[in-house]
Amino acid sequence: MAELKYKVIPKGAAEGRIPINLIYIDKADVAKAGILMKEACTIVAKDFHDAASIDVIDTSAITVTSDGIVADCAVVAFASVDNGKIDREFGFIGVSEIPYTRKLIEEEPHMRQWDLLHSGKRLYRGPSYEDMIPRAAFNETQTYTGRIANNNTGSEVMDVIDMTEILTPIFGLQEIMQDGEVTIGVAGPEISVGIGMVVRERQGRIFNWAYGAGKTAHASGVFAKTVKSDYPAIMAPKPVLAKKILEALDIDMVPGRDIACSPAILCVAKAGGYPIDLENIEDKAWVELESIGIDRAFLEAETQPISREQILADADRIIPGIVDPKTFKVADISEIRYAHYA
Amino acid sequence: MRLMHTRFPDFIAKMKAAARLNRPDTEVTIEGMENIKTGKVASLRVGRVECDLVDLTSDPEIKKVQIIVVPRMPETAHTVIMKGIREDGTAKRAILENIILTTPAAECELYDVDEVIDRRTPFRVAEPK
Repeated sequence: MAELKYKVIPKGAAEGRIPINLIYIDKADVAKAGILMKEACTIVAKDFHDAASIDVIDTSAITVTSDGIVADCAVVAFASVDNGKIDREFGFIGVSEIPYTRKLIEEEPHMRQWDLLHSGKRLYRGPSYEDMIPRAAFNETQTYTGRIANNNTGSEVMDVIDMTEILTPIFGLQEIMQDGEVTIGVAGPEISVGIGMVVRERQGRIFNWAYGAGKTAHASGVFAKTVKSDYPAIMAPKPVLAKKILEALDIDMVPGRDIACSPAILCVAKAGGYPIDLENIEDKAWVELESIGIDRAFLEAETQPISREQILADADRIIPGIVDPKTFKVADISEIRYAHYA
Repeated sequence: MRLMHTRFPDFIAKMKAAARLNRPDTEVTIEGMENIKTGKVASLRVGRVECDLVDLTSDPEIKKVQIIVVPRMPETAHTVIMKGIREDGTAKRAILENIILTTPAAECELYDVDEVIDRRTPFRVAEPK
């Protein structure tokens, strides 16, 4: 009998901060088993039996955060499982690789990070039109089985019966796969606003071509800071996020022009004295940023830039967001399990 | 006309009648469409649902029928119509927005069922990866 390894962060873990079972499968283990990712999710669903999300993660590939920072792993399939099953039509989505083209780099300026920092790596972002079948054009990149909805290519998990939810941004997933550390807390107004500050890309993990750097997908005015503020989030520690933002800024990614104007990016850029395209930030985005205390006066104020080392050391203060954060070793809040199958 | 369609109130009446065809005293409940007052239902499936209900109640152990209608696709698109009404009751202005609603999938109603017979038309799914 064969076995497939998977990692669980169970509901109630991290001192009760995790509201839903979260399962992660390493794509390398699926490849080693010689099975399809859909088969792997089905095997794990049967073994785990309870309600959970599943993300299959390729740690040798890259993806992109909603605000345009390239990350060193990618969700290549995701699923919702409940009662030992996966809904035959809506329970699973496999994500197609996006081939490298000059056109993509020219159309999507944030993807210069692929050329300059991740050359040769395979790129996965959101599912293609074909991957989404039988979903309709309006549907989110989401799977559903029973109670569980796994949305935005594995970065928001919901239980639609008890209506709990957890945000699982990609750098948090990277820490989970690397057995690093995660910071878990309540998202708060800054992350709520930041989720709407996106880059424009084709086959994006969450959004596609509708919005771009300097714009807000929320377009919710002063309400943007409340739309996601109450949900728990499992994030990478802020120094990890700061390091990735700095990598992008160091190759001349300009917030508001090439990468999004999310609070995290703006605050790191401001601290390090990097240029920000303030003129390209639309009025609707300013309303949302100002609602959390980030306005032009703050960003234009004459301040002494601090060093990369200082930014990393002081990242918890510089990057806003997360209420009541607590950092945990992934090994302390997760379990490794093995699903046996014929 | 490509397909014939049944009036919505007739659909409700037909389901109740079909569920009671074998035994008139069968208790029937219908959930999930309480807010729908008018509409048309594709007639082909109305007939099949009637057949299914007769089939289900042909088992003498079954004394009650619970009919639950949920969206086939759990994530549905809706238009929010926000109407501003004058004092005299006339509508001056309306703003339309769209919302996407994800509701519990059918599996949530099936945890306690011994046997599920799925007669729905299968949707074509993406090539598995």
